[in-house]
Amino acid sequence: MRRFILPLLPLAAGLACAVALQAGLSPNPILYARVDAGTLLALAGLLASLLWAAGTALWALAGRHEGQALAQARLAQAEAHRRFLRRLDHELKNPLTAIRAGLANLPAPQGDPVLASVRSQVDRLVRLTADLRKLAELEVQPLEEEKVDLGDLLAELAEVAADRPDAEARHLRLSLPQAPWPLPHVLGDRDLLFLALHNLLDNAFKYSRPGDTVEIRAFEDGATVAVEVADTGPGIADEDLPHLGEELYRGRAPSGVEGSGLGLALVRAIVARQQGTVTIRSRLGQGTAVTLRLPVAR
Amino acid sequence: MDELREPYRILLADDDQAITNHLAPFLERAGFAVTVAGDGEAALHRLDEVKPDLIVLDVLMPRLDGREALRRLRRANDWTPVILLTQVGAPAERALALDEGADDYLNKPFEPFELLARIRAVLRRSHAGTPSLAGAHRLSCGPLSLDRQSRRVTLEGHELALTAKAVAVLEYLMLHPDEVLARERLLDAVWGWDYPAATRAVDSRIAELRRLLHDDAEAPQFIETLVGQGYRFIGRVRAEA
Repeated sequence: MRRFILPLLPLAAGLACAVALQAGLSPNPILYARVDAGTLLALAGLLASLLWAAGTALWALAGRHEGQALAQARLAQAEAHRRFLRRLDHELKNPLTAIRAGLANLPAPQGDPVLASVRSQVDRLVRLTADLRKLAELEVQPLEEEKVDLGDLLAELAEVAADRPDAEARHLRLSLPQAPWPLPHVLGDRDLLFLALHNLLDNAFKYSRPGDTVEIRAFEDGATVAVEVADTGPGIADEDLPHLGEELYRGRAPSGVEGSGLGLALVRAIVARQQGTVTIRSRLGQGTAVTLRLPVAR
Repeated sequence: MDELREPYRILLADDDQAITNHLAPFLERAGFAVTVAGDGEAALHRLDEVKPDLIVLDVLMPRLDGREALRRLRRANDWTPVILLTQVGAPAERALALDEGADDYLNKPFEPFELLARIRAVLRRSHAGTPSLAGAHRLSCGPLSLDRQSRRVTLEGHELALTAKAVAVLEYLMLHPDEVLARERLLDAVWGWDYPAATRAVDSRIAELRRLLHDDAEAPQFIETLVGQGYRFIGRVRAEA
């Protein structure tokens, strides 16, 4: 606002001088004959004001242009990134199809351990392509927006998790507010939200050890609902934290943990599409908490 | 397919030889007579000579891609069953594959045994003399009707307020009548992913369909549950232009 008022200053100054002169506070006999100095000063002030205003407007316009260029560059970058993911996905698919058909042709006996190991590695690559595809799709696919009962969704999530083979060795706790009122609904695509939260819970289980605690909790926070998945697992090193959620980034995770390195990237993509945010707190040796904030449905 | 006297003929069109080199012998071992074509044009050229009972068409091929080959086939009023091998997994694209007259489609990279199961299911349907549902604009079953273009579903003439996903699930079920469809397969076809943990998403859409179709899960008229296996559309589906 200030930059629109400032250009009026010369005009104001000119007018003030004009009023002062006319009031005879400072008579000027020489100029008085043709044009009175007050009018002259007012005109000069007006001119200066116009110049200043024009300058400010040009400046603002240039700034906006710069902002637009930046936004456009970002869009182009995102599009290039998507194209890359699609191509990578595409280039992996045909060879994988051929490998699977080749494996099906092998005369090896059922239950051959070498074959089983090769198969499971191929399956891993297949999952990777599925995740890549999903990532690329997520940015463009139409969302089914509805009011989602997060409490109901989280209860279902906990139920699914309880069926995991490694669930018995973890303490899984779900806490949902009932007072003063239950969780408000959020706006989003229920199936995608489920997928995102399932990925988080899957990470919490995979990266924690027997005896660890995994907690799911949610609370209302202003115009958002915060959902947290926390564990008492090994935690994440400070230098790894900024890179989490980059495609295929795998921190110095405990060896033997299987994953595509796309889980958190998927979570971020899903939450971003629903106008939400993802934050991670972690301490090495103590554990990790991932918080999703989603807009409350009005 | 035990009552088979001569082997079914399959025309397999894919430009990637690494795939056809492995897939053709696999299908031959399963009892089919397989002819390979390197692109859509070659596939259309060999139609008269091979007279296939079923065509497996890859979507992305040089010269003539699978989708265009399928369109030309259907425009010529040839309703030989077609299974499309799709590459781009976007759900819209999948719906399109069905709209354009494919009898089924499979995302690469698929399990060869899955392709075999699909081939057998499509052949069983066409063998039983069931008219192909692939090109139908409207699918109907008794009082139930699904308009595939407008995505509207009516029951006894009244429009049902179904979610887009539920309509897609119903469409897929009706296009595969009498076939047991695992939750994972429905997930893959309609949602575009097949994460095992997400299969409940399928259950809740089935519940939505049953509620609005007034279909009793215990004594279903339309959708039957097969415990541990999936769902099956049990009504008789008719194709309407």
